[in-house]
Amino acid sequence: MSELPDNPLVTSARREAIVVALIWLGTMLYTTFYCYVNGSNRTLDDITFVLGFPDWIFWGVIVPWYTCLAISAAFAYGFMRDDPLGDDEGHGEVADG
Amino acid sequence: MDSTPSPGFGAITALLVVIACSVWLGTIAQKVISRGSFLSSYFLGNRGLGVWTMALTATVQSGGTFMGFPSLVYSHGWTVALWIGSYMIVPLTGFAVLGKRLAQISRRTGAITVPDLFGGRFNDRRVALVASLLILFFLTFMMIAQFKAGGLIMKISWPDSATLALVEDASASDIDYKYQIGLIIFAMTVVGYTLIGGFLASVWTDLFQSVLMFFGVVGLLVLTFSDPAVGSLEQATRAAVAQTNENYISFAGYAKDGRQFLTPALSISFFFVWIFGGMASPASISRVMASKDTGTLRRSIVVLGTYNGRIYVPRICICMAARVIYPDVANSDEIIPRMALWATRDLPIGSFWAGLILAAPFGAVMATVSSYLVVISSGVVHDIYQRFLRPEATELELKRATYLIMVLLGLVCWLANVQPVQYLQALVVFCTSGGAASFLVPAIMSAYWRRATHQGALAAMIGGAATVLGLFLLGISSSDPMIGQATRFRPYFLFGCEPVVWGIAVSAVLGVLVTLLSPPPEQHHVDRMFA
Repeated sequence: MSELPDNPLVTSARREAIVVALIWLGTMLYTTFYCYVNGSNRTLDDITFVLGFPDWIFWGVIVPWYTCLAISAAFAYGFMRDDPLGDDEGHGEVADG
Repeated sequence: MDSTPSPGFGAITALLVVIACSVWLGTIAQKVISRGSFLSSYFLGNRGLGVWTMALTATVQSGGTFMGFPSLVYSHGWTVALWIGSYMIVPLTGFAVLGKRLAQISRRTGAITVPDLFGGRFNDRRVALVASLLILFFLTFMMIAQFKAGGLIMKISWPDSATLALVEDASASDIDYKYQIGLIIFAMTVVGYTLIGGFLASVWTDLFQSVLMFFGVVGLLVLTFSDPAVGSLEQATRAAVAQTNENYISFAGYAKDGRQFLTPALSISFFFVWIFGGMASPASISRVMASKDTGTLRRSIVVLGTYNGRIYVPRICICMAARVIYPDVANSDEIIPRMALWATRDLPIGSFWAGLILAAPFGAVMATVSSYLVVISSGVVHDIYQRFLRPEATELELKRATYLIMVLLGLVCWLANVQPVQYLQALVVFCTSGGAASFLVPAIMSAYWRRATHQGALAAMIGGAATVLGLFLLGISSSDPMIGQATRFRPYFLFGCEPVVWGIAVSAVLGVLVTLLSPPPEQHHVDRMFA
């Protein structure tokens, strides 16, 4: 017997999960790499402050943070799809195993 | 000399207000849940969570972390912004990776609890049983730690209290009659309102404390930086470096004992700890299962993102300013309470406003305990008692069993804290890591892999949990590597990483391998879950 095709929610959820995983990976690599390279062994003589934040924190954490907020809003309102969740179908019955 | 204004009666009054509000919310929740069947309404709120209750309760931290994070900023400097930086992505990962699918599967299987969900998805009772036992193990430890925090916060809120915050390892002198009375009041309150209102009471009190925290932090930020004594954020940072050394503005972070607070491997690890600890915790999964619809999950991403953006960065700034006002606080957990009292010193009924800020961690602790009470009692009553012992149990019987389990849990946690547990914050990290390593991979397999089998899910759960447990046991018996937080309850940092990284890796490898080595699941069951 051939398997039935995926429900539209499964397809959209899988696509959205892959995009989020890529965003997570990109954020992690950028943030940790940028902060490590630009934040190691800093002194008051060579550091600059942007809006009161040390430069490596501003560009490595603060800017990505609010960029992520913008991306999240765009993702939620422009990419993520609404799908019906369906009604309660069972009562948690499972096989004896 | 200590220049911190006295909390007076403000803190205890604010705590009593929070307690009264929580009980009131519990009684309202009771009226709402009485409209549905007991199990579905009491343990899952009839799957009716809206945007605000979903966004501000599903992935928000425990009370211990509320107190611990500002303390770390004050102690170690700007690198703690990177340590917590992964919260920038939590709204997306918390709702958009598993949310829609788990909410759908829970409806298709009729699942009310997390073990129910896994048992139904893999069509095997043993998966549900193992999930129940793991939840019972990790969440009971977590709850015991939270009870101690609740008792200590009650103690420090007494008008003549000499301390302003809980400490991780309370000394014998901290455990006096004030602590014991505080512990009893805390236990009775949180068990009482959860017992009355179930899941909804837990969610609403969680929302209440999140709102309290939001206004507390924003108000404290404005008051702090409008005071001429503080100056600018840059001036505060320069003052902090003068008191410590230049590690305070560097990646490694400052520590009095010379340890390296953050390493490259640890900074990557925390993109696992906070992300997957939130996404795969049983309390978070059960709230996602209760989502009203997918639009709720979608809009929750934006609400939580906005909330996190206004909570975390301001708290870092406040802790930097604290270095100007209080250059050398012996117990850095006291830093937010001290700043709250200092910033509100000239306001009318200032100590009450400060008390409300102090009450936020108390509310967070109560909300955390309350959500665990619901998750654990649902697991014991529905997934063990009803499923294995008395399948024919009536609704009244299940209700009585639930109340009994909640009271017993409260008693166990109270007794365990008469001589309190130690290493509160470390226990929180251990339980969070254990939950993530146990449930992340099975949840992803459930949602997206048709071929996944119950044997694979069992191997993933047990392998992940055992790895985290093993690395913590190994760490306790090893010498201090002088990285990360200073605590005796530390894990073994294999290749410099937190145990959760290895727990998830082992769980994934075992889940895939065992699945591929076991017979495929029945086609009609898989179609029911996916088609």
